[in-house]
Amino acid sequence: MKKKITFICNDENISIEINPALTVLDYLRDNKRLTGTKEGCREGDCGACTVIVGRLNGKRIVYQTINSCLLPIADLNGKHLVSIEGLNLDGLNIIQEQMVDEGGTQCGFCTPGFIISMTNYFINHSEYDPEKAALALDGNICRCTGYLGIRRAIQNVIAYLNSIPRKNSNQTDFLMKAQILPEYFSSIPKRLKTLSKEIQYDKPTEKKIKPRYVVSGGTDLFVQKWESLLESNVRFISGNEALKEIRKEGNTIFIGGAVTISEFENSPLIRKHLPEVTKYLNLFGSQPIRNRATIAGNIVNASPIADMTNILLALSANLNLTTNKKKRSLPLNEFYLGYKTLNKKEKEIIENISIEIPSKEHYFNYERISRRTYLDIASVNTAALIKSDGKRIIDISISAGGVAPIPLYLKSTCNFFKGKEINSDLVDEAAHYALSEISPISDARGSAEYKSLLLKQLLKAHFIKLFPQLIEVEVLV
Amino acid sequence: MTRKIVKSKYHFEPDLIETIGEVSIEEIKPWGSNDELKIIGKPTSRIDGAVKVSGEAVYTSDVILPNMVYAKILRSPHPNAQIKNIDTSEAEQLEGVLYILTYKNAPEIGWYYNTSYLFDKQVRYQGDEVACVAAESEKIAEDALHLIKVEYENLPFVTDAVEALKDNSPKVHEWGNLPRGNPDKYKRGDVEKGLKEADLVIEDTFTTQVVVHNTTEPHCSVAKWEGSKLTVWDSTQAIFNVRDSIAASLQIPASSVRVIKKYMGGGFGSKLEAGKYSVIAALISRKIKRPVKIVLDRREENLAVGNRPNSIQTLKAGVKKDGTLTALSHHSIGSIGAYPDGAGCSWPLRTIYKCENVSTEEYSVFTNTGKSRAYRAPGHVQGTFGLESLIDIAAEKIGMDPLEFRLKNYTDKDQVYNIPYTSKKLKDAYEKGANAIGWHRRNKVPGSSNGILKRGIGMATQIWWGGGGPPAYATLKLNRDGSVNVMAGTQDLGTGTYTFIAQVASEVLQLPIEKISITIGDTETCPYCGASGGSTTAASVAPAVRDAAEQMKAKLISGAAAILETSEEKLIYAEGIISVKNDPSKKITIHEIISKMRERVLVTTGARSANPEGYMINTFGAQFAEVEVDTFTGKVRVIKIVAAHDIGRVLNPKTLENQFHGGIIQGLGYALMEERKVDSNTGKVLTANLYSYLIPTIMDTPEIEVIIVSEGDSMISSVGAKGVGEPAIIPTAAAIAHAVYNAIGVRIKSLPITPDKVLNALTLIKR
Repeated sequence: MKKKITFICNDENISIEINPALTVLDYLRDNKRLTGTKEGCREGDCGACTVIVGRLNGKRIVYQTINSCLLPIADLNGKHLVSIEGLNLDGLNIIQEQMVDEGGTQCGFCTPGFIISMTNYFINHSEYDPEKAALALDGNICRCTGYLGIRRAIQNVIAYLNSIPRKNSNQTDFLMKAQILPEYFSSIPKRLKTLSKEIQYDKPTEKKIKPRYVVSGGTDLFVQKWESLLESNVRFISGNEALKEIRKEGNTIFIGGAVTISEFENSPLIRKHLPEVTKYLNLFGSQPIRNRATIAGNIVNASPIADMTNILLALSANLNLTTNKKKRSLPLNEFYLGYKTLNKKEKEIIENISIEIPSKEHYFNYERISRRTYLDIASVNTAALIKSDGKRIIDISISAGGVAPIPLYLKSTCNFFKGKEINSDLVDEAAHYALSEISPISDARGSAEYKSLLLKQLLKAHFIKLFPQLIEVEVLV
Repeated sequence: MTRKIVKSKYHFEPDLIETIGEVSIEEIKPWGSNDELKIIGKPTSRIDGAVKVSGEAVYTSDVILPNMVYAKILRSPHPNAQIKNIDTSEAEQLEGVLYILTYKNAPEIGWYYNTSYLFDKQVRYQGDEVACVAAESEKIAEDALHLIKVEYENLPFVTDAVEALKDNSPKVHEWGNLPRGNPDKYKRGDVEKGLKEADLVIEDTFTTQVVVHNTTEPHCSVAKWEGSKLTVWDSTQAIFNVRDSIAASLQIPASSVRVIKKYMGGGFGSKLEAGKYSVIAALISRKIKRPVKIVLDRREENLAVGNRPNSIQTLKAGVKKDGTLTALSHHSIGSIGAYPDGAGCSWPLRTIYKCENVSTEEYSVFTNTGKSRAYRAPGHVQGTFGLESLIDIAAEKIGMDPLEFRLKNYTDKDQVYNIPYTSKKLKDAYEKGANAIGWHRRNKVPGSSNGILKRGIGMATQIWWGGGGPPAYATLKLNRDGSVNVMAGTQDLGTGTYTFIAQVASEVLQLPIEKISITIGDTETCPYCGASGGSTTAASVAPAVRDAAEQMKAKLISGAAAILETSEEKLIYAEGIISVKNDPSKKITIHEIISKMRERVLVTTGARSANPEGYMINTFGAQFAEVEVDTFTGKVRVIKIVAAHDIGRVLNPKTLENQFHGGIIQGLGYALMEERKVDSNTGKVLTANLYSYLIPTIMDTPEIEVIIVSEGDSMISSVGAKGVGEPAIIPTAAAIAHAVYNAIGVRIKSLPITPDKVLNALTLIKR
């Protein structure tokens, strides 16, 4: 089943009939023979295949890094794909030059991926912070350099960019002037606009074929089912603009079913009303994964340890599900029936997720422990939203991940807490009490015993962080 | 005759290799200090950097040839099974499938020291090769794998080395679970006597995990025949090993096989031996008369192409009150997987500290898991964690500063062979490293600092070989325009081989580095050099390049003397121009000399000189770590590592620092997160991908300070360099572990030091 896909690959307009589930990685390496983009793991864990994808947003192009191994080519429709080859000038640009001079490259296999991620950081920021720039590389694994040369390269590029006088030009123009981006970048907005007129979107009649998979971000599905996706009838919803909306109605925020973690993190609405939540999002996967993975996907995937799901459980989120005909809504904590078993009909998709905006009396905290701080799945995680007058717990909701077959809402523990005065003894008691609610198993991320111990510690950590004046740490350690 | 065949010794990994080797006997005066040199020792950017940052560099996995097909390997899902039958008929029917190789139609090619075959009916670990499908695309080959029907008869298996040593354990090979039937033993003096002389006897057990190389570029090979001649592009650390293995397997002359490796995405020891995939690609390519490409995937990388063995080490030390070591003993068990390899790790204990009474017993044990391979300082990384932990405990028990204790037991000679070292600057490394970390800041009583976040400082010592040796050759071609090609049959793993070769030629011939072009990694056009492993490459190859360049300089002077009608002694060479000492107006350029000689290219071939008789060549060093432990969650954060080492002459501070940083971060991964886990109930690897096998990211990096305490070791060679790659990783995990102890006062005796171990240990002491 081929489909016409129209996009720009580096400086070249492309319009081809192609299997829409083909990964962009294979397209680049096999079809285009652009081998600067490397295949390291095909699971979105190494970053060697990172590319930049730009999409038109009004007059501007919004560029993002994506793992090309997890990106179906169908998703490129109307977009600008940039591989390492598309960044090359006549000589080396300053990023490339600094990567060589500071020892940011050794064997070099991961290097194009790093340069792509660094370039994208500079495209998206006009004020630079070396630590945040490094964080933009959290999805790129290097096995040779030990990363310190890469960190120095970042610092030198920042120093260079800060030394260039800038007028009111936009960042892309500025980077062209700074000889980081090739000239053709200036033509992209216009070309994409022209291109978008040619694009044929799915006609409604085609939808009669029952899709085997509904794919949103696909960051998990493409890892597990890449081969079968190539052959099946797949419905991609990630480009569905109607599902991309984040809006506020009264005191409720609605997050569309195709909103990615990055879109959520960077949404002004979310930053304004849920600032405490956005703080933790850089612990979710890596930058390219966050750019691709959706919140609804994280929920439907039903991993007991999912970061977003556990955060949303504590926020008492509601799911609004829809088929073409029927709509219904239910609390997230009633969505999970068992391990990877959902209270969801086959045809239903998540139209949006709704959250009540916490008041000033609400305190939010998220804790997770993993071997590797970034780019790792937690052993145990927990989120807490506590309504308090500063002394007593008026209301509380706590989630716990990795300690049961499903993302767990600690119902009894919450009831135990309610109405009580916050002090070290209460927290200690409640942390023990929580163990009666969980059923962890021993696996690669730790023994059952350890996970119980860890959950106790993390529950205490909520209170140490949120109510330091009421807690004596020594009692809890 | 500037060459001679002599007996020479050198160390490659733990093996002492005695060769009859051809060496240069050209008397080349060793270089003085780096201050006297212009290019060597100066920060030089990687000459192959530009093609890497632009994506132009073509790696083996990038090679695309006309008419090329793809092959994928079917691997055993079982840890131990007999294949009763393979039915490939359905797979063969799939459109695009070209050829399928199994034990039924493959030639009987012995593998793993003839303990198995290229395709064996007996599979001994999850990942053992069962069949290979070649198809028009990788996707079709992958699909065809699912259509092959294999009847397995599952057999009892064992995945744990300790279990495998028991009498009633399933046997991985008929003859037992020890490759040679016995452990490897070493003994000097009398340990029992030594222990009696001691005021204190300390005994403890330490364990380390299996870790996987996980090079960024997977193992891969592309094979192409032209008539009877085979060219193989291979991601390998040893082109000549691969050439000879393929030639022997296919029973064709070595001269008919050309192995090429230009750029590769890392090796770390996992690409030292020829892979089955290379031979399989060659076999299928010969059969179907089309080029064949095999690239392993990440899962295969984690199952089937090597790992660092685990270790269970029980050590004993006799110590006098004044800190003197009276005895040391070491007993180790390690899993080598399903085929012969070594898991011994006692070398550091035999050599680092002065001790007359030493005994070691190493059990390298077969298990039904993926075979181990050399992994960056094989044995030493595990062994250093065990030994240095014991030494730390001993120092504390007798109330001595751990550093002072180490100085007390310092040795100036190699105690295994009873010969002196060519050079040893470990004392300087201790002193400078201690100053840089602020050794005095450590907790005098471990765990005594207040608060939830506790800091600590620890250190550990490193010894390794890395002196290199012959045979190693380099051919230098000087063109009329003063540009140079250097060819050497070595490999650059990303370490900087290209760059140091260019630096050496540039230094001697005083020509700009931009005019020097390097060809390595080609068995057909390059003279022989050994495998790139054991930290031997720079130490072996750089002197050969210098020899070739010095010969070229001599040749130019000889030519100039003939043309200028004067004697060679009266001439001086500077930047490609030869002039008469007392009459600078009389001069001649390279271009003029070569033109007058009616040549276009002048050629010389240099060789590595022999290592000195009666001396041991080692690298030494000490690393110091500062860590912060969150006692609430058990999480360890490394704040700083200081690495102070004696590695001979620094050829290039830039690539040297790269090597140290990379080795230290790999060591940090080993200390805190990396671990291959096997389910003992099913024999399956639980961590066969990069989301469960954790490698440090840019967010895990501490500050690292590298201090080199050595200059050129003129006893080794005219260049005086020792190796760097392995020294970098050896002491890191031990230093971190000791810093964790200094922070929390509980010693974690098992790597990796994960939050669960720390938290459990802290909870236990509270009870």
